[in-house]
Amino acid sequence: MISVRKDFVFDTLKYLFFMGILAFLLVIGSSNMNYNWQWYRVPGYIIARSADGSLKPGLLLSGLWITIKISVVSLVLAFIIGMVTALLRLSSSIAAKVIARVYLELIRNTPLLIQLFVIYFVLAPVFNISPFNSAVITLSMFEGAYASEIIRSGINAISKGQWESAYSLGLSTIDTYVFIILPQTIKQVLPPLTNQAVSLIKDSALVSTIAIYDLTMAGQAIVSRTFLTFEIWFTVALMYLIMTISISAFVHYLEKRNNYVQ
Amino acid sequence: MSSKPIISVKNINKKFPVSGRKNDIFAVKNVSVDILQGEVVVVIGPSGAGKSTFLRCLNGLEVFDSGEIIIDGIPLNHHHRNLLEIRKEVGMVFQSFNLFPHMTVRKNISLAIRRVRKLSVSECENIMTDLLQKVGIEDKVDSLPSQLSGGQQQRVAIARALAMNPKVMLFDEATSALDPEMISEVLDVMKNLAQEGMTMVVVTHEMGFAREVASRILFMDNGEIVEDREGESFFINPVEDRTKAFLSKIL
Repeated sequence: MISVRKDFVFDTLKYLFFMGILAFLLVIGSSNMNYNWQWYRVPGYIIARSADGSLKPGLLLSGLWITIKISVVSLVLAFIIGMVTALLRLSSSIAAKVIARVYLELIRNTPLLIQLFVIYFVLAPVFNISPFNSAVITLSMFEGAYASEIIRSGINAISKGQWESAYSLGLSTIDTYVFIILPQTIKQVLPPLTNQAVSLIKDSALVSTIAIYDLTMAGQAIVSRTFLTFEIWFTVALMYLIMTISISAFVHYLEKRNNYVQ
Repeated sequence: MSSKPIISVKNINKKFPVSGRKNDIFAVKNVSVDILQGEVVVVIGPSGAGKSTFLRCLNGLEVFDSGEIIIDGIPLNHHHRNLLEIRKEVGMVFQSFNLFPHMTVRKNISLAIRRVRKLSVSECENIMTDLLQKVGIEDKVDSLPSQLSGGQQQRVAIARALAMNPKVMLFDEATSALDPEMISEVLDVMKNLAQEGMTMVVVTHEMGFAREVASRILFMDNGEIVEDREGESFFINPVEDRTKAFLSKIL
């Protein structure tokens, strides 16, 4: 017991020591930079006061809302696209396999930014797609390709015995997928899919290039007007961090709730 | 016992292609056998003899290359509907239990009867109560498979297959993965089933069980049925040399 206490005290001291050095460097660095910190101006861009004195969401908060909307819709679509693609690749139809494979390789081997431009500048005018929808289509297609590989490997990881016992009970292939295979797959692939969801949220910053007022675009606009470079970008980064950490925490909770030993 | 076979197997062959060899290896070679209703047929033989492959052909888990299998009047062929019909009538128990790990015992048993037999919840409950009593795990109905011992899991697997009210039960080395003290509890369930008149095809290494319960014994080697005899006489006076050699090793 004594040694545990000693370790704890020692660890705490080590922690405080390194944090002290870090804080010291930060203070020295920022004073050397001669940067005029104006944090007091930031809250106005989160919650603004309109002319009649009532409160309304500031630029950053409306940007955050757009980012959340794009991310949530894209996440749902990416999951559906990923699931369908995985099932197509695992189906016995050669045509389905080829379609899934071509989609996958096309998306995986080209830059996201280029895909966004192709959708927005080439396809959007032809099919009359709004910027928001262009963003959602691009992001969900992109992340869906990665999700499909994750889901496919998850399905392949389910033991052959599960299929055999389901088939031997007379279950159809669809029932076997729905009741036996996919529930177990989802549990397996939840951690890597979470990584993908976090990537999607971060990648959504790219949509600021196609005239969508998302969080990044809002940050850019404010910075170019006010030169509050550090304050605004730190705030924007923090907002992304809160979104991604919430997702990780939510999935962690799901995992703990659905724990069964395999 | 009716005289019409419930399982009729005619000249089935199954090859496993082997790369770098001209001749394929036969997993099942020219196997023919008729099994009557109520018979308990035990399949024995050295490992790699094709026992399990033969058994798995009977419910279409393995596809055979040539020959004919008819179960309860339904030919087992490429028609998917026939396959599903046959699987409804043929229950199977595996070496590795293969329970659904994310479902409770209740769900494991009720899933197929709800989805395939389309029974109502209350009908399911009745069937389940009877079955769990039969296999002796009434108190585990809300447990997950991971909370059960191997013997209990295998008994749930048997109950799950029986819930479909099959005409034939296949056992693929059902006790091979069990600790010794749990083997008897599973064998007892199988013995009771045999006494109730269930038609059973059993691949096993339990010679005591074979001797006691089998109405017929098939001895397989190299994919062929070498000897097909009534239970007791198989052990007392085997005819074929290969059977004698096998029995001298294990008895």
